[in-house]
Amino acid sequence: MHIPDGFISPVVYGPAFGLAGVLWTAGLRKLQRALDPAAIPRLAVATASAFALMLISVPLPGGTTVHVSGVGMIAVLFGVWHGFLALSLVFLLQALMFGDGGITAFPVNALAVGLCGSLAAVTVFRLLKNRRLAPALFCAGWMGTVVPAVLVALVLGAQPLLGQAADGRPLYFPFGWEITMPAVVIPHLLVGIADGVLTVLAWRILASKETH
Amino acid sequence: MRRAWPHRLLLLIYLALVVAGTMIHDPLVLCGAALVVILSAGTGVGSLVKRAILAALPFVLAVSLGYLVVARHQLDQAGAVLVPLNLRVLLLTLLAFRILPRINLQQALGFSRTLRFVLILATSQVLTFRRLFTDFQQALAARSARRIGLLAALRHGAATSAWFLARAEHDATEMTQALEARGYFLDHT
Repeated sequence: MHIPDGFISPVVYGPAFGLAGVLWTAGLRKLQRALDPAAIPRLAVATASAFALMLISVPLPGGTTVHVSGVGMIAVLFGVWHGFLALSLVFLLQALMFGDGGITAFPVNALAVGLCGSLAAVTVFRLLKNRRLAPALFCAGWMGTVVPAVLVALVLGAQPLLGQAADGRPLYFPFGWEITMPAVVIPHLLVGIADGVLTVLAWRILASKETH
Repeated sequence: MRRAWPHRLLLLIYLALVVAGTMIHDPLVLCGAALVVILSAGTGVGSLVKRAILAALPFVLAVSLGYLVVARHQLDQAGAVLVPLNLRVLLLTLLAFRILPRINLQQALGFSRTLRFVLILATSQVLTFRRLFTDFQQALAARSARRIGLLAALRHGAATSAWFLARAEHDATEMTQALEARGYFLDHT
């Protein structure tokens, strides 16, 4: 989520950097120790795929378009750790190379979208895939969008409580949960549907190519 | 190593300035700091300010207008919240566009060999995929007589996603073979 610098309080982005830093180190060590020589190139191309999937937009009624996240697709295909590291790298490149979103939002996005989104998508996919594949893929795509949206809405809505002046006025993002939850989550319930449909369709195309 | 330290130092300075910027709440100090960054751009002032405003405007505008609506009966308080907030966002966005183009990320983050290697591979792939994505978009637009509908956009999105994922698998295999041929994995065991 493209949140510019200045909206998130140091009380939030400081610990988020610390936690994400520990997980990035653990993830990279896991890759280094992997016996699979394709682990590192796979992470690089997962990053590029995640970046490309985030460019895809779908029109909404009213003339606007929304960008899908592709989190579910990446997590189901590459796994939770690869998903987390790849999406973190995408947010890093977006913040430092392309000017999309701030560096203070980077650890929050990495944890909410990269880690929790991937984890939710893979968990749902594993739980449902033995029953029917298409609903499992749809739910993975949907959860990969909606779970991060809920977490980001919680983080944004906590800013007025965590960063306020002596007179009580908010110093950072000024809206509480009563506004961030509907404003962030409701649009993402729709984006999640687009993400879910895309995940199913893309999987079918990939599967049909493999059978040929 | 000698080439890497200026980039690492610049990245550390940038991060320190961002942390400092997020802790300043005085509008005058924020305004002064933003002016210093703008003036430091020399002849590139116009481009710097334009890029910073365009990058931050959608989010800032949505938040500011929303807050004005919510706090319409207390405009004094709205000003006390929005003026420092918007000045801080402007300062930090200006800093990003002023400093970050001067940093080579691969050099700055080269303290980990694996991270540096992944970044080099990922950046090259990202730039290629971005160009290909633009080509696909233009191809769809060129082949559509009318406005692209939801169904067509979803089909195009699915085909594009599948193409990128298949290409990713192919590129990962190709890269692994290229790295193996050059003895990369022997150096890392």
